[in-house]
Amino acid sequence: MAQHALARERLFALRETIARLEGKPAPALAAAERGALAEGGKTPRRASLPPLAFGVEYLDEALEGGLPLDAITEFRSALSRDAGAASGLAMAVAARLQKQESDAGRLLPLLWVGDAVGTLEAGRPYAPGLQDFGLNAERFLHAAPRKLDEALWLVETAVESAAFSAVIFEVRGNPTHFGLTESRRLSLRARAARRPLFIVRQAGAEEASSAAFRLHVEPAPSALRPLPGESKLSGSIGNPIFRLTLEKGRNPAPLCFFLEWNPHEREFLPVAEPNLVRPPGEQSAHSGAQLSASANGPHRPQAMGALLAFERAS
Amino acid sequence: MRLTALDELAERLGLKKEQGVAEARAMYPTLEVAEEDPAADRRLLEAIADWCDRYTPLVAFDGKDGLFLDISGCAHLFGGEKALLKDVLSRLFYMGIDARGAISSSPGLSWAASRFGQGGVIEDEETEQVLMSLPVAALRLEAQTVDALKKLGLKYVGDVIDAPRAPLTRRFGPGLLLRLDQALGREEEPVSPRRPVASLSAESRLIEPIGTEEQILAVTRQVALSLQPSLETRGIGGRVFELVLFRVDGRVFHISVGASQPLREPKFIAGLFSERLQAVYDDLDAGYGFEILRLNVLRHDPFNAAQADFEGDRQGEISLSAFVDRVSARLGADCLQSFQLRESHVPERAVITVPVMDHLPRRKAAQDIQPPFRQERPLRLFATPEPVEIMLAEVPDGPPQIFRWRRMQHQVARSEGPERIVMEWWIDGDDAEARDYFRIEDETGHRFWIYRRGFYGGEFDPRWFMHGVFA
Repeated sequence: MAQHALARERLFALRETIARLEGKPAPALAAAERGALAEGGKTPRRASLPPLAFGVEYLDEALEGGLPLDAITEFRSALSRDAGAASGLAMAVAARLQKQESDAGRLLPLLWVGDAVGTLEAGRPYAPGLQDFGLNAERFLHAAPRKLDEALWLVETAVESAAFSAVIFEVRGNPTHFGLTESRRLSLRARAARRPLFIVRQAGAEEASSAAFRLHVEPAPSALRPLPGESKLSGSIGNPIFRLTLEKGRNPAPLCFFLEWNPHEREFLPVAEPNLVRPPGEQSAHSGAQLSASANGPHRPQAMGALLAFERAS
Repeated sequence: MRLTALDELAERLGLKKEQGVAEARAMYPTLEVAEEDPAADRRLLEAIADWCDRYTPLVAFDGKDGLFLDISGCAHLFGGEKALLKDVLSRLFYMGIDARGAISSSPGLSWAASRFGQGGVIEDEETEQVLMSLPVAALRLEAQTVDALKKLGLKYVGDVIDAPRAPLTRRFGPGLLLRLDQALGREEEPVSPRRPVASLSAESRLIEPIGTEEQILAVTRQVALSLQPSLETRGIGGRVFELVLFRVDGRVFHISVGASQPLREPKFIAGLFSERLQAVYDDLDAGYGFEILRLNVLRHDPFNAAQADFEGDRQGEISLSAFVDRVSARLGADCLQSFQLRESHVPERAVITVPVMDHLPRRKAAQDIQPPFRQERPLRLFATPEPVEIMLAEVPDGPPQIFRWRRMQHQVARSEGPERIVMEWWIDGDDAEARDYFRIEDETGHRFWIYRRGFYGGEFDPRWFMHGVFA
C-alpha cells in the first residue's frame, strides 16, 4: 500500500514536471493557485495569454483556440518554390495579429529577419506588396544578417526586447547550428517576453523542435474575384489560398485543410472545395525533380504519423 | 635616385638632401640607403597624431613630418607649458622618435623655432628677438622666394622684419609678408584639426593599464557617468559616441557607436559599447593594456526627457530604440532596414530601404496614404529579375502558356494582365523598352509576377523575366 502511494507520488511529480516543461498549469499547481486566490492572496504571476484565433471554427478547435502568442510557430515549405506561400501565410498571421493589436491601441512594428540565401531564393519582402497583403509597410522592419549565428542572436534579442508584435525568422533548409537546443532557447525567450516568434522554413525537412505548432504550407489555386452579386469572374486570380497540414500540435491526427486569406478584411476564410485543376502533391505533367534543399545528409523519405520524435535533420 | 631624408650622422658627414645616391655612395661606400615609403611615413605620422590626442583634441598635420597641437586651455592639465612640452618630447624619445618642439602663441613661430631654432617655450615678448636670428626659410616660404631673398642678401628674418613693406610686397608678392605676420602673431592662422572635434568629452587616466573587456566597460561606464552632468546642463543627449583607447605603447584605437535616440544614461552608453566590443574585441589588440580611456560625444541632439503619457506606449518605444541601438552597434547600421515608399511606378524604384537607426517607425499611425490605383503587387520581389524561358506564349501581347524558370517547367492555369509599365524617360532615356507585367498562376497554385520586355515583331525578340512571387 505504502509502495503504491509512493508510486503515485512519483507519478504526480513527473506529471507536474512535464506540465511545467510544456508551460501548462499542472493540476496540482492550478489547484494551489486557486487556493491562493480564494484566500485573497496575490493573483497568479502569469495570466495565460489568449491565443491568436484564425477565425475559422474547426481550425481553432484543432489548435485549442489558435496560435499561442508566447511560443514559436513554424511554417514550413518542403520545396523552394513553395516559399512564397509559407512566407505569405506567416505574413497573413502577422497582419491579423497587427490588426488585433492596433484595435487594442498598440502600434508595434513587425520584424522580418531574412536569411541571406533564402532572400536570394525567394526574393525580399516588397513594401507595396506588403500593403496589398494587409500589412503596414511603415511598421515593417527588415533585417539582413550575414551569418546564421548573427541571425540567431538578432532573433533572440528581438524576441527578448518585446518591442515587436511578432518576429518572423526565415531560414532555409535545416542548418546544423539551428537545431533543438537553439529552438528551445528561442522558445524560452518567447515565453518569457510573451511575444510570438514565427519561423518560416524554406525547403526544410521535419525536425524535432520546440515549436508549439508546425504547419506545412503549400499553395493552392486561388479564389476567383467576386463580381457584384453572387457570381465570380472566371479566369481571374483573387485571394490567395493555402493548403495547410498541421504537422505538429496537440492534435494527434495530421490535419489537412484549405484556407483563404482576405487581405482587405484581414481575415481567414475556410475553403470547402478549392477549384483544383490537379490534386496537390501529385506531380504535374512537366514537373522536374521534387527535392528539398540539401542539408547535411542524404535525402530521406519523409516520416510522418507513426513516428513520435524525429531525428535531427540538421 | 636621390636622398630625401638624412639621419643626424649623415648630416654630420655633410650629405645633403636632393643629392644623388650614386654620388653619396662614392663619398661614403658604407652608406646605408633605404627606399622611401611615403605611405608608411604617413601612417606613422597619423599614429603619432592619434597618440597626441592625449594632450589636446585639436591635432593638425603639418606637411609630411610635422604636427600642430592647439594646446589652448590644456597646458594646466599637465603642469604648465614647459612641463607639457617636456612630457611630449620625452615620451616620444622613449618611443624611439627624435622630435623637436616649441610652444608659442602662433603656429608660424612654433614652426620656425622648432625647425630652425632652439625650440622650447617662447613668451610673447620674446617673439621678435627669437625670430630675428632665424634664416628666412623659417618663415615657411617657397624655395623660389627663399633663393631670391638670399640673392638680395636678405638671409635672416631680422633683415626682412624692419624692411619697408610696400617694396617687399611688390617684389615677392603678398605671401612673404603674410608669413611674416603669421609668425609674429599679427595675423590669425587657424589650425584645422584632422579629426572632428567632439562636442563633449570625458576621459579617465589609469595608473594601472587595463586590457580585458569587462574592465574597459567598467571604466567606460565611469567615464560616461562623469559626462552625464554636462549633458544634462546642456539639455542634450548623445547620438554618436566614440571611445578612444590609448595603449601603453602609443597605439590608439577608436571605437564609435550610434544611438537611434539621444542618450545620456551611463548604463545605456556602456551597453552600446558592450555590443560593439563583442564585435570588435578580437581585432582590438590590448597588448600591455590601455592607459587612457576617452569618451567623446561626436553628435548630439536635444534630449526629450522621458515622460509617460496616457497611452502607455512609451515603454515599447524605448525598448524598440534600445533594440535598434544594440543591433546597429553589433551588426552595423545597415543590418536593420525599414521601407520608404517613393512615387514611381517602376516596381524596383517604388521603395527604398533606409537604416532604421535614422528613421524609427513613427509612433502615431500616419494617415494611411492610399496608393494610386494599380494592379496588385507581389509579396516578394527579386533584387534582379530572373530570365524566364518561354516555351509558348500568345503573340503579340498575351500571357505565356508554358514557361521554364529555374529549370522547372510551369503550365499556366490562369493569368491576369498585361499591366504595361513604361520606363521613366528622364532616367532610363527615351529608348528604354516598356514592360508588360502578368500575374500568373500555374497548375499547382504558385503565383508569379512575370514581365515581357519589348514587343514581338520588333527588331529583336522580346525577353521574359520573373520579377516576384505572390503568396
